[in-house]
Amino acid sequence: MAYDAPGNADKLDKTVLAEWNKLIAREYRSQQARFGSRFFSIDPTKLRSPVGAAIQWFADPAEPAFCISSEQARVLSDWGVRGRQVLHNEYCEYAVIFGMDPNGKFRPKRVEITTELREYWLCVATHAPAKLRQMVQKTLGFKPSWEDLYGGDPATLSRAQREAAFSRLVAGTPEAAPTGRLNTEHALFMTHAINGLDDLVYIVIFGARPYARKKGNGIEPISKEELFRKFGVEHLACRHADPAAAMGAAGAAFEGRAVAFANPLGVYIVSFAEGAFSIKGKPIPKKWIRWGRGQAGMYQRLVFGPSDADKEFLDDIVVSVGAKDLPVTGGFQVLQQIEVGPRVLAGATSPVRKDELVVIAANRSAIKCGEADICNQIKELKREHTIQLKTRRTRPRVVGPIG
Amino acid sequence: VTMAAQASLQEGIYWAPKTRPGAHFAVVFLRVSRHVDLPVVTKALGQLWATYQNLKKGSVRDLPGHPVPHGNLTVLLGYGSNLFALTSVRRACPKPLQTFAHFRSPLPTGGGPLQPGSGLRYAKDVRANWATEDLVVQFIADTPLAVNRAIVETWKALYDQAKGREDQLPLLITRFYTGFQRDDARSWIDFHDGLSNMPSHQRADAIIVKDTGDPGDRWTVGGTYLTYLRVSVDLAVWRTVSVEQQQQLVGRDKLTGCPLVSLDGRSRGVPLAGCPMGGTREISDSTVPGNPAFFEPPNVSNPILQRSHVQRANHHIRSPGDRNSLRIFRQGYEFLETTNEAPGFRVGLNFVSFQDTPERLFRMLTQEGWLGRMNFGGDPDHQLPGMDRFLEVRAGAIFLVPPVVPREAFPGAHLFEKKATRPVRPRSGRSRPDG
Repeated sequence: MAYDAPGNADKLDKTVLAEWNKLIAREYRSQQARFGSRFFSIDPTKLRSPVGAAIQWFADPAEPAFCISSEQARVLSDWGVRGRQVLHNEYCEYAVIFGMDPNGKFRPKRVEITTELREYWLCVATHAPAKLRQMVQKTLGFKPSWEDLYGGDPATLSRAQREAAFSRLVAGTPEAAPTGRLNTEHALFMTHAINGLDDLVYIVIFGARPYARKKGNGIEPISKEELFRKFGVEHLACRHADPAAAMGAAGAAFEGRAVAFANPLGVYIVSFAEGAFSIKGKPIPKKWIRWGRGQAGMYQRLVFGPSDADKEFLDDIVVSVGAKDLPVTGGFQVLQQIEVGPRVLAGATSPVRKDELVVIAANRSAIKCGEADICNQIKELKREHTIQLKTRRTRPRVVGPIG
Repeated sequence: VTMAAQASLQEGIYWAPKTRPGAHFAVVFLRVSRHVDLPVVTKALGQLWATYQNLKKGSVRDLPGHPVPHGNLTVLLGYGSNLFALTSVRRACPKPLQTFAHFRSPLPTGGGPLQPGSGLRYAKDVRANWATEDLVVQFIADTPLAVNRAIVETWKALYDQAKGREDQLPLLITRFYTGFQRDDARSWIDFHDGLSNMPSHQRADAIIVKDTGDPGDRWTVGGTYLTYLRVSVDLAVWRTVSVEQQQQLVGRDKLTGCPLVSLDGRSRGVPLAGCPMGGTREISDSTVPGNPAFFEPPNVSNPILQRSHVQRANHHIRSPGDRNSLRIFRQGYEFLETTNEAPGFRVGLNFVSFQDTPERLFRMLTQEGWLGRMNFGGDPDHQLPGMDRFLEVRAGAIFLVPPVVPREAFPGAHLFEKKATRPVRPRSGRSRPDG
């Protein structure tokens, strides 16, 4: 079986689609060799009586919240491209588009939110430059220059050169963030190294085994803490995406069900609590919620907030949190109202043999999320942010008439 | 969640395996008088707590030496966000309670949304929410008398302390509500209810407050958050809905309680194969083993059933300790009360849930695909007539239920101490037998 374009968002020619499927197969093979079992199938059509497995999570970055605080998570995640490159790692990224109000003040206008996989765009960029340009135009609303996409005419570049150029400018690499404007001033697709196809395939295959702990004479499912501790990746248990994906697959496997990514493979916006937002006591206009990059139920893009033609700004909208209405100052508050996840199917149950069980010693001790290594990096980011704020506060000297 | 943390939960939360709550329930909301000094309030709370401990032994203050049946009374004490605004309280409001302090107030004219994004609204005759108070006391017992007596003894203790002067009462009873459990495992709409509550071995993970690393909130670790909603049910609306439609809205077979997994060619619900167990008529029948396996509805692919109440309230996300799972532990009690309007009575549910943060419930009530924009179940854009007001809220509030700390006069007593002292935590789990 061949996977279609994520969200069925694009009509690709057979060659590009084949390349996309090669990528998926490559990731599958590399993970299957390490963690594979009969409880994960690369082909969803092979599952008996499949039903959707609920693998979904809230999209707001978890790490800054458990390392510092929820309020700092908002501040740092909203810190432009820097915040995005460090913190947006729950398979959802955003960019805030600013505009100038009548008083000359720059204010947030809207948020572009994406769950699209970097590898998919890179695949199209490598094999079909014209299609890529068309996709960018449709997504961002303007025709990008070849300069912005490849640094020059892609016709003069080999496939490897296109891949490298597009990575440098738009897609980024696992080591470096993109340097061009298309995917930094905008959220065209995900660029954070953790939000990749490789990690997505890894975490589901990793989870798709019948992990168990002993209970009396029988067994029972293990906790997420036990799973991640056993494999020396405790800090992953504190995030949103990894426990949801791994434990969802593990729960199915424990019941003897195999799981597979549904066609098309991608990360999708599962739900959005639009009712939590209002403006001047009224629901926000429907035209301020613009879904894209996929069919209904498989959207990978949301643009939230007024358009340039509207006089309102993003921070005119309030989000209801408990009994409070708070102005929407950036994208973090919007992500708090969004669930994302891949579409995963689970097949019928089957008996799990004893030799298939992965029995893990029970260990109920808690994981101290705030002590994870990642917290040092995030605290450093906070220091950077504080320094920048102080720098900004330094007022320019004003030269004027004396007296 | 460690054994030590589990040991510090207050009583009245029947989360542990093989524990069953008493059949009768009462909840009392108390407001701290702003006209009395904090030491007086502290003393009053201490005396109340002592009164409750005596009631648990069948000892009533006015009947010394003449014990009464105690009814296996349990007592739980919780604190609302308003309490932390009192200047003399020694702790800041815990962060989850700051953020999710309370629901919206009803409109002055009555009614209004419980929360933006939620499909629940206050009843049109509700103009004030009497549950949003400083303190809550929950009583659960085997008999109606045991919980009713506790309410009256609350007033007696406070009245005596004020020496009969109403204006000197340190704590004011603003409202109480009562309820009862049904022994048929059903609710007023005749469907089975509460069956798909979390399995007991998962509950502690979902309800006990964990250490988030915030030193200001560390004292709440081992406690939980209680959410209370008094919800009325419009049976007249329910009776206009056909049984087939009812089943699609609930997600279960009305008679057997079996979860529906698909719809047949005539849109009739198809129950889970093999349910209920042979020799039984419904899944609540425990005369033969096996029926509990049918309590939890499985994931379904039919979009109509995906929108049913049981599927919306639980997406079967593994790892209940995760916020993403939105799992809560429900411990509800039905009610029946008289009214002055036709039909002369009102039925409903005292919805009580426990969770490690109130955020779980708020999200469940507002998130699309869960109960966001929904009053009960179905398609929010195409609701059956009246089903958008099928459930109505009469009161609702959120409370911190602090952990039990050895040598404290009552749960949370250190909040009122003159000098902020670190409460004595339970001994480490290492010194306890593990199991």
